[in-house]
Amino acid sequence: MAEQLKMVELDPLCRALFQYRQLKYEKCVESCEVALNNNSYDQAAWILKAMALTRMVHVDDLEIEEEGIAESLLDDNATAQVARPGTSLRTATAASGLNQMVRPMTQSGRPFTGMVRPGSQGGTASIEKALKTARTAMSARPVTSSSGRYVRMGTASMLSQAGEPFINVARLNISKYAQKPALSKALFNFMYYHENEVRHALEIAAQASQHSKFNDWWLKLSLGKCYYRLGMFRDAEKQFRSANTQQPMVETSLWLGKLFLKWDQPLGALEVYRSALENFPNDSFLLTNIARVHELLNDLNASVKFYKDVLSTDSVSVEAMACIATNHFYSDQPELALRFFRRLLQIGLHTAEIYINIALCCFYAQQFDLSIACVERALQLSKDDATTADIWYNLSHIAINSGDKTLAIQCLRLAIAHNNDHAESHNNLGILIPEQAKLNFETSHRLGPHLFEPLYNLALLSDLIGDCLNAYKYSNQTLEVFPGHVDSKIILDRVRTLLASF
Amino acid sequence: MAHSTPMNAVFTFNLNHKILPRRVAVGRFDGTHPCIVAATSAEKVFVHNPHTKTKRQGDRWLTDPAAAAADVSLLNINQKVSSLATGTLRPGSSEEVLVVGTPNSVLAYDVENNSDLFYKEIADGANCLCVGHLGTITSPLVLVGGNCSIQGFDYEGNDVFWTVTGDNITSMALTDFNGDGLQELLVGSEDFDIRVFKEDVIAHEITETESIVFLCSLTSELFAYALVNGTIGVYQNGGARLWRIKSKNQPICLVAFDIDGDGKPELVTGWSNGKVDARSIRTGEVLSKDSFGHSIAGIVIADYVLDGTEQLIVCSVDGEVRGYSPTTAEYRQQLMDANYEQETIRELSQKKQALVMELSNYEQAKKLSEMNSAQQVQAIANQDIACIAANTRLKTGLAINMGGDGLQPHVEILLETNNETIIQAVIVFAEGIFQNESLVIHNDDFASSQAVVPLTPPRDVEVDLHIKAFIGYKNSTQFHVFEVSRALPRFAMYTVCSESPSSEAEGTVKFQLNDRPHRVAQWINQSFLLEEEVSVREDLHMTFLSLRDSKLVTFDMDFSGEMTIRTESMEIAGEMIQSLTSFLGIEELQSAADFPAESENLLQLMQRIEEFQSAKMQMSAQMADNSALIRALIVRAEDARLMKDFKAMRQWYMELQPLNRELIQSHKIRNQSHEQLQQQLRELHKILQKAARLRVGQYKGRCVTACRGALKTTNPTAGARALLKIISSGE
Repeated sequence: MAEQLKMVELDPLCRALFQYRQLKYEKCVESCEVALNNNSYDQAAWILKAMALTRMVHVDDLEIEEEGIAESLLDDNATAQVARPGTSLRTATAASGLNQMVRPMTQSGRPFTGMVRPGSQGGTASIEKALKTARTAMSARPVTSSSGRYVRMGTASMLSQAGEPFINVARLNISKYAQKPALSKALFNFMYYHENEVRHALEIAAQASQHSKFNDWWLKLSLGKCYYRLGMFRDAEKQFRSANTQQPMVETSLWLGKLFLKWDQPLGALEVYRSALENFPNDSFLLTNIARVHELLNDLNASVKFYKDVLSTDSVSVEAMACIATNHFYSDQPELALRFFRRLLQIGLHTAEIYINIALCCFYAQQFDLSIACVERALQLSKDDATTADIWYNLSHIAINSGDKTLAIQCLRLAIAHNNDHAESHNNLGILIPEQAKLNFETSHRLGPHLFEPLYNLALLSDLIGDCLNAYKYSNQTLEVFPGHVDSKIILDRVRTLLASF
Repeated sequence: MAHSTPMNAVFTFNLNHKILPRRVAVGRFDGTHPCIVAATSAEKVFVHNPHTKTKRQGDRWLTDPAAAAADVSLLNINQKVSSLATGTLRPGSSEEVLVVGTPNSVLAYDVENNSDLFYKEIADGANCLCVGHLGTITSPLVLVGGNCSIQGFDYEGNDVFWTVTGDNITSMALTDFNGDGLQELLVGSEDFDIRVFKEDVIAHEITETESIVFLCSLTSELFAYALVNGTIGVYQNGGARLWRIKSKNQPICLVAFDIDGDGKPELVTGWSNGKVDARSIRTGEVLSKDSFGHSIAGIVIADYVLDGTEQLIVCSVDGEVRGYSPTTAEYRQQLMDANYEQETIRELSQKKQALVMELSNYEQAKKLSEMNSAQQVQAIANQDIACIAANTRLKTGLAINMGGDGLQPHVEILLETNNETIIQAVIVFAEGIFQNESLVIHNDDFASSQAVVPLTPPRDVEVDLHIKAFIGYKNSTQFHVFEVSRALPRFAMYTVCSESPSSEAEGTVKFQLNDRPHRVAQWINQSFLLEEEVSVREDLHMTFLSLRDSKLVTFDMDFSGEMTIRTESMEIAGEMIQSLTSFLGIEELQSAADFPAESENLLQLMQRIEEFQSAKMQMSAQMADNSALIRALIVRAEDARLMKDFKAMRQWYMELQPLNRELIQSHKIRNQSHEQLQQQLRELHKILQKAARLRVGQYKGRCVTACRGALKTTNPTAGARALLKIISSGE
């Protein structure tokens, strides 16, 4: 009986194929191993295992990239050092009339948007400044993005592999596999995503491309991706362009656009997206990227317009909805923002962030009771301390606005308890508890050098107690962070005349 | 005699940036305001834009150096900048675009919008750039002159134009050379030639005496050139030279500008010693000048003060900028009045001196004619009177000396007088065959009535020899100067080889002529140094021996007009064909070639180029990988330093050191292989150009176009085979 059962058992390779289709990659790998144990030269099983392993760790490398300290400091990829305002990501902040009083800034000096994305270029002056700025648990930047692996936390790439590695990269006969198109592509993906051996991946792609007589756009795109990771942007551009002329693809255009952003040429990126839109009208990826570039240029109205275009074709685009909602919120239309946040809830995004945003919208729309309920839901759903801290911080706003000082202080203390590095909370605490004001402001400035509020508060404090020198120093520093801040200018002018009169 | 006036400077400021010579341009990037762009040190280009930021009050910003320097913004190029140009590229737009050439790429960049138009890798490098319309091509092009090749790109970066030329290109200019309303491209190269390209066909060639450093179109029919040895001059569009002068300084740049406000442009030259002078384009006379403390870096013309007129803007290498307006006649008059009297007196006294000298000579001659013949002989022998017999004649001849006794074979000029007078010294003046344009031979001790001047022209060019012989008697103190001009035939360095060669030369080129052999014989008579003229026969068969390397060249022509040239060198065959066809007035000629040695060479070259290119790719990937590691290490080490963790810092730096050394090592290797690659590419282009020169007219262009097609194929072996076929068949 047992033997009969064994006979009906599927062939391990066939089983592996099924499992691969069912997205059960780990089981697929196991089945492949069985097949490989039976016949260690089974190329089908071998490549299927490689594909399954790749799928387990595959990340969308178009979306995930944070510029490391090393790259932003030691490389001059941008052509223009000081470009005309509005044509560069670096000079964008100073250019537009957007006010930091109305819309707060992120650490990298960008206005808050609806979606948290990996960092963008905010100009950094010296290596010391870059290394010294606010090294908190939440704001650490990678040392370099090219040597580090692109990984999703907690996925299979972290799993330790028993025994020796599946493919020994150093001993791989690249020229042999590059001649087989089916094998070479899977192998490239494996090298690129799983092993993170960009140089070997490059070699595979180059040889395969040569073998295909340079007629394969996918290989060209892959070559370009490798060059991009290696920092050889001009070579990457050549490959992307060649791939795009051979076969226009959305992905290739997105990569090209990314390249232009790397060179700090946002208008060039927009041009790339725009020409790609001619081939792929209303493509939501392209539109989203256009909106993002406008956002980076601080042209939020244009950005929202494109997000709306995204929504008209892709009505479940979370990013577009979140960004539009945030924009409505900061332009004093909490009711409108509320509609978008509710839509986010409807499509199943039950997160703490959404709830706290709804809470804030409700509060500013004069619906106090609803907002407290939402805050409670947010606290229930919050998964990590940083979010919890933010929720408490936001609750403190509600408390301040409703005149409950004690609750506000408690909320801020709770926020700090959850996240020691919450600079905004320190600042507000300083205002609420005048006895500890200076200490709190200083801590806040240390933790969040991108914030202008603690600096201005310090300047004001120094001015009030008659410490002209410090008032001068801090108001100057405020103006560095926020050049258009009127109150700091007033303090500065007064202090300057005072100092001159001595 | 004209008086040179100082130039009328209207503004001056310092940019506080070094400027690399010949890498200065001016562009209206927003369509209206001109900005100076120049390459500076550290692989950067700066843009000086004073118009949009600061408000100009009178000419305040001009005098405030700090303000001028503040208007400068830098562009990172991250490669050595070898050339700069500006111009409108997008058809129908008025915004100009900055084009930057580096040793292996060209970048077209929109300064106003901070975006690239295109970036192209160019293996031959971009020695010089030129933006404008060429021939019948409708859109404006960026023309890139590299090592032996010229490429043209439109605004999208499509290479719509490609051709090869003789050597490294050093300068280019666009001008309407033949007055047909279309622009031709002037190309100056290191092989002393100025070529005129009518699209991809060479319309005209002018051979100069040194490598060309600058070309500049003056008016519709004139263009100016500058050579590395300090010569500048002006050519008429037809190939006739109006004038030239030579200086011990190097000319840096030339530009046409109407400095005296008379409506006609002058030639303004910037020199390496900091001098700037404006010369009349017809005569070369200096009209006005100025001087800087440092070498001139570049001269541009733009309306920089925005007053509606154009200024001449001169930049020196240390960043000093002066702008000049055309002077008015009144202004010049004022300046002239001041020293007019002194000048006139000096001039007149010089004239007097000359006349006095002339008078004394006449008096002596008169004295002589009053004597009888015996007295005359006596007087002449004693050298009482500086005079020679009236019937003295100088005979000149050109001959080939076959050498021997350690003497290389060469061409000789024989000079002889018809009486007992002696030739004391000979000055031969000719362009391009001596190192310094002229050769002086003194016959001090063995002065006789004969003199021999050896010549070894390095290249096959037709040269006019201007010979000056000093003739007198043995104890004369004054000599008579005889001036003779002789033309040295183009192929003077080939001698007739009477006996039939033992082995036929390897390479052959065959073509069909519609002329009879006696016309070819006429050409031979004109272009070679022959002892006796070649007589016309049914079939022509002649063999020549090159004096340079003892190689044979054989001509065969039968009555049907089929002609064969046998020689080992494709270059010589090409030279001969070009000379022959221009003599016979043939405008189109196709030929079939077979040069086994060159073919072999070509195959090897293609293979090596392929090897270098694939090695280069691998090496750069490895270097990029290493440099990423190094960056990470530097940041980690600095991080450790800031945290005062010196032990860790030391460790990071220890790790950094070997990596760094490895990177430097591989950089050196890559440099070397890059140089070799360039060398190979240059040779390849030279072979292609030689192959093109075996054809005339449209066939020449067709050959080049076909070669380009073959080079573009991705498969190297197929490409090499295609090239061989093109070289042998011409298309």
